[in-house]
This record gives sequence, structure tokens and C-alpha cells, in this order.
Amino acid sequence: MSRIFIVEDDKSIREELAELLRNSGYEAEYLTDFSNSRADILAARPYLILMDINIPNLNGEQLLKEIRRESDIHVIMVTSRTSETDEVLAMSYGADDYITKPYNPTILLLRISAVLKRFAGVSQVQSYNGLQVNDAKGSLADGSREITLTKNEMIIFRFMLDRKGSIVTRDELMTALWDNDEFVNDNALTVNISRLRSKLADLGCEDAIETRKKQGYILR
Amino acid sequence: MKFTEYVKDRVWFYMIAAISLGLILLFLEVFRVNGQLVGAVSSIFLLFVVFEEIFCFNRKKHFYCELVEKLELLDKKYLIHEMLAEPGFIEGKLTYEALCEANKSMCENVNVYKRQSDEFRDFIEMWVHEVKLPLASLQLMAHNHGDELGEKFLEQLRRIDGYTDQVLYYARSENSEKDYMIKETSLKRTVANVALKNRESIQLCGASVETSGLDVSVMTDGKWLEFILGQFIANSLKYISPDREPVISISAEEDEEKVLLHFRDNGIGISEGDLPRIFDKSFTGENGRSYAKSTGMGLYIVKSLCDRLEHSVSAVSEQGSFTELTIGFAKNNYYKMA
Repeated sequence: MSRIFIVEDDKSIREELAELLRNSGYEAEYLTDFSNSRADILAARPYLILMDINIPNLNGEQLLKEIRRESDIHVIMVTSRTSETDEVLAMSYGADDYITKPYNPTILLLRISAVLKRFAGVSQVQSYNGLQVNDAKGSLADGSREITLTKNEMIIFRFMLDRKGSIVTRDELMTALWDNDEFVNDNALTVNISRLRSKLADLGCEDAIETRKKQGYILR
Repeated sequence: MKFTEYVKDRVWFYMIAAISLGLILLFLEVFRVNGQLVGAVSSIFLLFVVFEEIFCFNRKKHFYCELVEKLELLDKKYLIHEMLAEPGFIEGKLTYEALCEANKSMCENVNVYKRQSDEFRDFIEMWVHEVKLPLASLQLMAHNHGDELGEKFLEQLRRIDGYTDQVLYYARSENSEKDYMIKETSLKRTVANVALKNRESIQLCGASVETSGLDVSVMTDGKWLEFILGQFIANSLKYISPDREPVISISAEEDEEKVLLHFRDNGIGISEGDLPRIFDKSFTGENGRSYAKSTGMGLYIVKSLCDRLEHSVSAVSEQGSFTELTIGFAKNNYYKMA
């Protein structure tokens, strides 16, 4: 499980944020005393840091610089400063992503998983139920047969595969699709999922995607 | 300054000169002075007056003509004293000093307002950042514990966020300092960010988004462009035509000098009479009155931001069928190399 460390001085935000992350299967910790931020963060050995810029004592950019000197933990800056200059500055200090407040929680989770995935490298799941998943070709193969998925189907399948066994909401799938420039509507999503279902069935995986009423889908 | 005008202005002096000449002639007559001497005295007197007037006129003419001429040419008329050499005669000197003094005082006065407006702007900027914290907090709460009401809360929170952004960008657009940052920005990424940010609102209206040819980079400030496109989307969703499925299509075309970004919707359109004024401050027009509530600020801010970024922005529309807004980005190879 990935441990995420929250550096945020607004009590209400950090508590809600921690809850959001825990609900999504991450381990979340946060800083309550900012007098020794750098050492406390490094001691926690997190996998990823969500960092605000306006924090007491040392500001987030300085803190980022100092952390970068000693460690290459992934850092996402989360701030209410919305200017391009702030973003460019933060990225130049070594942030992995930059998100402005208020953020859509689903988008935030998507960005977190994108950063984690980007650095996880090959550990990404490459097979499902004996099927070979080829992201580059956008296809599924079981040794004898190969079925090509459309871009949308691949995005949906990839998203569900990374969260295999847990519920994926329509909202999350929609966010993932739109983030990839596929601006589909509700109906199109339903159609894409049923096509994906039948393609999986063709490869011998009947009932691979289970529908949970009012919640979403689970890839079994 | 014409000579005739100058002469008219000096009429008092001529009257006094004439009276003194009359008095001199009278005395000379009383003392029975010889006629030739009278002639000589009058000639000297008259010659003196004529020479004095011509000399004086020339001296003043140089300064005042320059003053009038340069004033006409100047764009910022309050800088007139910078354009003049200090004259050699007393009235000119006084005028010149008065101009300098007036300008100095005006600069101080303007600075007071400038400082006030800068302070106000800084406060607005700070306030917007502050208000985003409770917004972020509420958004997380609505997501974490919202249940059925969550989506409704989130929709309202997005509205508040939209309005605060408008305030922020209004303050930024009115500011004289350079607080944007031009760099190479991918249109595809920017459009995806905006679409993603407005996804829920777009889907609530049942609108669909189509894009084409967005694999282009432009020189702009990405954040400002996102705000601009956000305004376009908000407008399109506000003025949806009830007769058809709403479609927003975003496309780009590129030629040697510029990149044009077209933003087109199939909404109710804008009447021909209103079209030239949609970028005016506080202009609401027919649509603003009879359909959705409008502040008339959105497109005005868009226009000011585009002016500051040196992008062109224009609109074409046909009432009842479509509205198309186009942003033009100039290509600058110098920037690209840098």
C-alpha cells in the first residue's frame, strides 16, 4: 500500500483529504506541527507528498527544494495559487505535478495514481485472468486469439485492472476518459462498457465486469 | 501665435504709447519747438515702438508656437514640459515652471490612486486564495460524506469557484503589472484540463464536446487561457437552444503567421445588433435579459486578458443557430528559440 504524506496547514482540509485518500485505499499521514517539517516528513518515509505552498515557517517551495536535496520522493504541489509562474517555479524545484485548489477529488485521485504509476515502471499489471494486456497495441490476447480494444475501451479496462477487485465509479471512469481527451457522454460510457464486456466474454472471461447498483463496477 | 493676434492683445500698450506721444507733441507745441525736431522725436518714438514690438513678438512666438504645436502632437499631453526648452523671458519662465509644478503634483496624485488600486488588487488576490481554502474543504466534505446531496453541493461549490475566479481574473486584467507568463502551451492539454474541470456541468446540460486539430502548441499563459475557455463553456451552457442536442466543438487551424482556436456551439446565438457589443463591459444584451442571468463581465474580462496577452478575439454568430468565438495566437519564432 502506498503511504501518502499531507503537508497542509488547514486542519479541515488535511483531515478530509486524509479521509479521501484512506477511502481510496491509500495510507495517509499528515503534519500537525510545522516547526520541523523537513525532518518529520523524511522520517515518515512516505511514497508521495501532497504539499501546500502556504505553510507556516518554511514555505512549500523552500521545503520542496530542501527535500529534493536529500530525497526523490514524489511530490505533488496542491495550492490555491493559480498563476502560471507559481506552477513553473514549483515544477522547476522538482515537483512531479501541480494542482490548484479547490480540486475535484476524483481528478486529484487520478493525478495521484498517474504520478505513482509513472514511477512504478514495469510493476504495472500486464495480465488479467491469463490474458496478455498490451497497452501499446491496445489489445488483449490469450495465446491463440487476439482482440483489439478501442482507445476508450482500453482506458476503461486499464483503469479497472489497476483497481481490480474494488469498486470503480462511473464518475471515476468518466474522469479518466476525459483526462485522455475522450469527451464521452453517459450513454457512450454505458455502450463502451457493454462492448468491453462482450469482448472479454469472447475471450472466455464471462461476467468479468460486475455492476454494483448506484455504486459502479468491479472487475473480478 | 499670429502677429495680428499679438497686436490685438497689446492694444493697451498702443493706447498708452499714443497718449504719451500725444502729450509729448502737445508739450513740444506749447514750447513752440521747431517742426523738424517734432518730426524727429515722433519718428524715433514710433520706430522704438515698432522695433520693441517686433522683437518681443519674436521672442514669445518661438516659445508659445512650440507649446501649441507640441501639445497637438503629444499623445500624453501632461508630458508637455518635457518637450520644451526653458524660455528666456519672464512670462515664459513662469508658465514653464507652472507646467512642471502641475505635472509633479499630478504624478503624486496619480500615484496615490495607483497605490490604492494596487493595494486593493493585492487584497483581492489574497482574498481569492483564502476563500479557495474553505471551498476546497467543502468540496472534499461533499465528496466524502455527501451521499445523495453531494452532487448538488458540488454543483453549487463549482458555481462559487467560478465566480471567485472571475473576480481574480478581473483584478488581474485591470492590473498594469505583467503578472502572466507566456510559454509554449499545448492546446490539447489546455482544452482537456478545461473540459475535465467543467465535465459535471457539461454533462448535467447533456452537452457533448467535439475537438479536432488540437495537436498544436501556442505561445500563451496556460492558466489564463484555461480561464478564457472556461468562460466560453459557461456561456455555451447558459444559452443552450431547446430544440437540439447541445454540441460544443473546439478546433484549431494553423497558418504561417498564426494559430486560430475556434470555439463553436449550436446554442441560441446572438442577435446581429448585440454582436458588436458583446465584449463591452457590463453589456448583457437580449440574451442576458431574456434567458439566463448575465453580469456582462465574462466576455469583457476575456477581451481584456486577450488584449494583454496580445491575442485577438472575435465572434461570429447567427441568431437561433450558432455562436463561434475565435482566439488568434501570433506565432513568434524568436520565443520558440529562446
